[in-house]
Amino acid sequence: MLSFIGRSIIQKTITLFFVSIVSFLIIHLAPGKPSQVDPLNPKFTPEIVERFRKEFHLDKPIYVQYVYFYRDLFTGKTVSWKDNQSVLGKIWERFLNSLPLFIVGTIITWTLSFPIGIRSAIFRGGLYDRSATFFSYLLISVPGFFFAYVLIIFVVTHFHVPVIGLKTFGIGDASWLRMIMDRVWHLLLPSVLGATGGIAILSRYVRSQMLEVEGQDYVRTARAKGVPEEQVHYKHALRNALLPFVTMFGLILPGLIGGSVIIESIFSWPGMGRMAYEAILARDYPIILTVNFVSAVLVLAGTFVSDLLYLVVDPRIRL
Amino acid sequence: MTIRRVLILAPTVLILFLIQSYLWVPTYEEQTRGNPDRLNEYITASIGDASILNPILSADSASSDIQSLVFEGLIDRDEELRFRGRLATSWEIYEEAFFYVNEDASIPGVGRARAQEVVALIRRAKAGEIPTDPELETSLANIREISVGPAKNFLVTRYEKKNEEDKTPAELKIQVSAPARIKLVLDAVDQDLFQNLSHILGKDYFSSFNGQGYLTVDDERWQEKRTKYAEKILPATEHNPIVVFHLRPGVKFHDGHVFDAHDVKFTFEAIMNPKNLSPRIADYEPVKRVEVVDPLTVSIVYKRLYSPALGTWAMGILPEHLLNDEALKKEAIRLGKDPEKFSMRQSRFNRHPIGCGPFVFREWKSDQYIILDRFYDYWEGPPNYKHYIYRIVPDLLTQEMEFYAGTIDSYNVQPHQVERLRDDPRYQNFSGPSFGYTYIGYNMRRELFNDPRIRRALSMAIDVDKIIDYVLYNQGERITGPFVKQTDYYNHSVKPVPYDPQAALRVLEEAGWRRNKEGWLEKDGKRFQFTLITNSGNDLRKAVLAIAQDAWKQIGIDVRTDLLEWSVFIQERVDKADFDALILGWVMGIEPDLYQIWHSSQTHPHQLNFVAFNNSEADDLIIKIRQEYDHERQVAYCHRLHEIIAREQPYTFLYVAKWTAILDKRIVIKETDRQGNVMYKKIKPTKTGNFAFYFNKWIKLPEAPGFAAEG
Repeated sequence: MLSFIGRSIIQKTITLFFVSIVSFLIIHLAPGKPSQVDPLNPKFTPEIVERFRKEFHLDKPIYVQYVYFYRDLFTGKTVSWKDNQSVLGKIWERFLNSLPLFIVGTIITWTLSFPIGIRSAIFRGGLYDRSATFFSYLLISVPGFFFAYVLIIFVVTHFHVPVIGLKTFGIGDASWLRMIMDRVWHLLLPSVLGATGGIAILSRYVRSQMLEVEGQDYVRTARAKGVPEEQVHYKHALRNALLPFVTMFGLILPGLIGGSVIIESIFSWPGMGRMAYEAILARDYPIILTVNFVSAVLVLAGTFVSDLLYLVVDPRIRL
Repeated sequence: MTIRRVLILAPTVLILFLIQSYLWVPTYEEQTRGNPDRLNEYITASIGDASILNPILSADSASSDIQSLVFEGLIDRDEELRFRGRLATSWEIYEEAFFYVNEDASIPGVGRARAQEVVALIRRAKAGEIPTDPELETSLANIREISVGPAKNFLVTRYEKKNEEDKTPAELKIQVSAPARIKLVLDAVDQDLFQNLSHILGKDYFSSFNGQGYLTVDDERWQEKRTKYAEKILPATEHNPIVVFHLRPGVKFHDGHVFDAHDVKFTFEAIMNPKNLSPRIADYEPVKRVEVVDPLTVSIVYKRLYSPALGTWAMGILPEHLLNDEALKKEAIRLGKDPEKFSMRQSRFNRHPIGCGPFVFREWKSDQYIILDRFYDYWEGPPNYKHYIYRIVPDLLTQEMEFYAGTIDSYNVQPHQVERLRDDPRYQNFSGPSFGYTYIGYNMRRELFNDPRIRRALSMAIDVDKIIDYVLYNQGERITGPFVKQTDYYNHSVKPVPYDPQAALRVLEEAGWRRNKEGWLEKDGKRFQFTLITNSGNDLRKAVLAIAQDAWKQIGIDVRTDLLEWSVFIQERVDKADFDALILGWVMGIEPDLYQIWHSSQTHPHQLNFVAFNNSEADDLIIKIRQEYDHERQVAYCHRLHEIIAREQPYTFLYVAKWTAILDKRIVIKETDRQGNVMYKKIKPTKTGNFAFYFNKWIKLPEAPGFAAEG
């Protein structure tokens, strides 16, 4: 067990090192320059551009820039080129904004997928199962931004209430309960939209897992013993079908930082995804690279956690 | 079965909880009824967030939107786009001109002359004792004072690099023994002064001045650069325009500190300080020095003639007491940073700005909103709105939805959205031409395009009116030249190129292009073929691209098209001048300075005259416009330049898009007269199309007022 953890950590550090090199190269080799060095703004004379390049170390060879960047990152000194704010501070602030969206979205996804998927599996081939399949594929194939627009237009034109942003603007000094409910309302649409894709995929997955387990010998044995049907489904089958999902829990970790660029932009939600997207447009290298690095760390940590979880829940696996 | 119950109950409860929150959210009407304070708030939406709220450091439009409310400049432009005083009550412009006495030149009728004799000659001419022509007479009448600066010796130290890699430049001493210099103080700036003076001093008096004869360079290595040094250290003639601003007394910054001339000087020095990396440094580079005459008078001396300079003083003035070296040092120590490296760029001020504009900064949440409160001590009286809120909503459609939901009062409304709301009784809408235009530019380095007739024929083949109708929903106007259409500089007598494909074919035939059997134009066996490019991501340009391609195909021109990602488009094609023709737009300032885009010296890679426009008369006019301080004369030069550019057709000038705006009808102008009577007026855009010009007087009423029929 300990040796597994040790080996895994060493492997992941090496992977992380290569990820840092590759992402650094990709961003520096991609066309486009930071807006401060954009030569098409007549106000920027070559001297200023040169000075900015110096300030950003862009005049140095690329490996020196690499060393400078990661030195600053690990000492917590990286600042955004756009506004000179500390990058880690900015990411933390955005992370806190994305967090409720992520949590509510995840809860909706996981609580809804299971009943839908299980029912589909139990009444397999019936009308319910077919329509669930139909809607799942519909949700998977229709792009999220389209749903978002349709929903927003519907809600605003029929109910005349604001849906964009973290809270209603100009609500004034309302009671605290009202403020909280207002925030919950603003969470509702983006997190439901963020969850639709997840529900569609996860419920399919639950269904196929259930079907697989229902075909197993021990389920048939349980039935043959005369165990009530409901107990067969929810005790014998479901428990075993749950196994792969436990490991999936570790894999949702990277979603924390990725956020959803499209949903956050449409709902003007000041989250991580939007910050990263805008940083890419402005070629704000420190932000892009830091977000990239942090999400690489989270992906690796996520796989590590899911490996561990698998160890814990499945007694057949021993390392 | 409990598991089953839990599985069904959990999502049901969750969803019910989420949905019931709807009952707590106020609707459009409730927002103003339930919260009367909402009427005192103005909420506007922007696509992008501000980056840095310091007028000397920012270069993006969102930051400047906020800065224009928090900070105030010395001057700005009124409804007619003329300058008007803000922090300055008035200003005057005069000039000091200098020239070195050329002891070797022979003056007609006098011979070699020394300083006193030259002065005597000019005085005699001014008194009318010497026959002069009318131009010289105006120049002479303009002279207020003549004086002589004595000859003097001084030492100049320069640092020279041997080559690019040289890290430690060599010190170089230049011994100068300058001849006497004559100083003329002029009532008004006169760019033709020396040219006119040469009528009496001799044609070559200024040009033959041998500056390097007065220099001794101590190092052998740099002897060959002596001519260059002479130009720098001993220029034969020099214009020093001077602007004197008289400042408004008793103006306060938001923190109560009184504004004075030292703040102006400080703002200038902060821009020029290399540590601050100000993107505005180019605007102020022509300034020689800023002098504080007394706390309410500041005089700005320029190195050379540069008429766009006056407009640069519309920039917000920074408070010296919060940002000078001492204050920054204190802040650095408080934040635990190295005071040596700490510059204005790192200061907290950039996120908590303090100026003397009509609104006081309160709060900024990145990518969410910026809140400003009105400034009660504003010198022009406080604005009517109590709060100004700048929301960041990055999506155009959701901006519209927020407008319907009542949580924003104004947004970047698109032409097709205005179309939807035009007849809605709840709203009022405005539109007017913007300060920019879209064009097709031809690379005149290519043989195909170096004939003005061909460029004109290409323009004639495109039906611009149809583009405006169908692509812009009529929210655009034709444009014929490079100036802002609302200004005097624009020459309205230049007619747009008519849409006439048949005439275009005749012109092309004159130039040797004939249609072959398949209908393509051909000359010497070669087909008329080129590629038209633009950047992807701009739907209007994409539409124009397709329309132009089709229009040219109609007359037998084989046009290929290509859409490129912005940075590839700029770096690989525009900067390297590697294109045949392109569609692009310029956003212009009001100043008529066209040097960077149209002067023939600006055609190198990375410069903005990428179509390689080259016309000596135009070059001459561009320089003259830059140096002319008299509005009437500047307008005359601009009209001529407009004609030349329209004739040469380096671009097919397409259209100026209109800006559009939409507001709730309940927003009106509120004015209080001396007796304290309140009057309400409808918001009307100014002549130049700025509907928010009287923003400080706007207010939202609970009910839309009925206005008497407008006269």
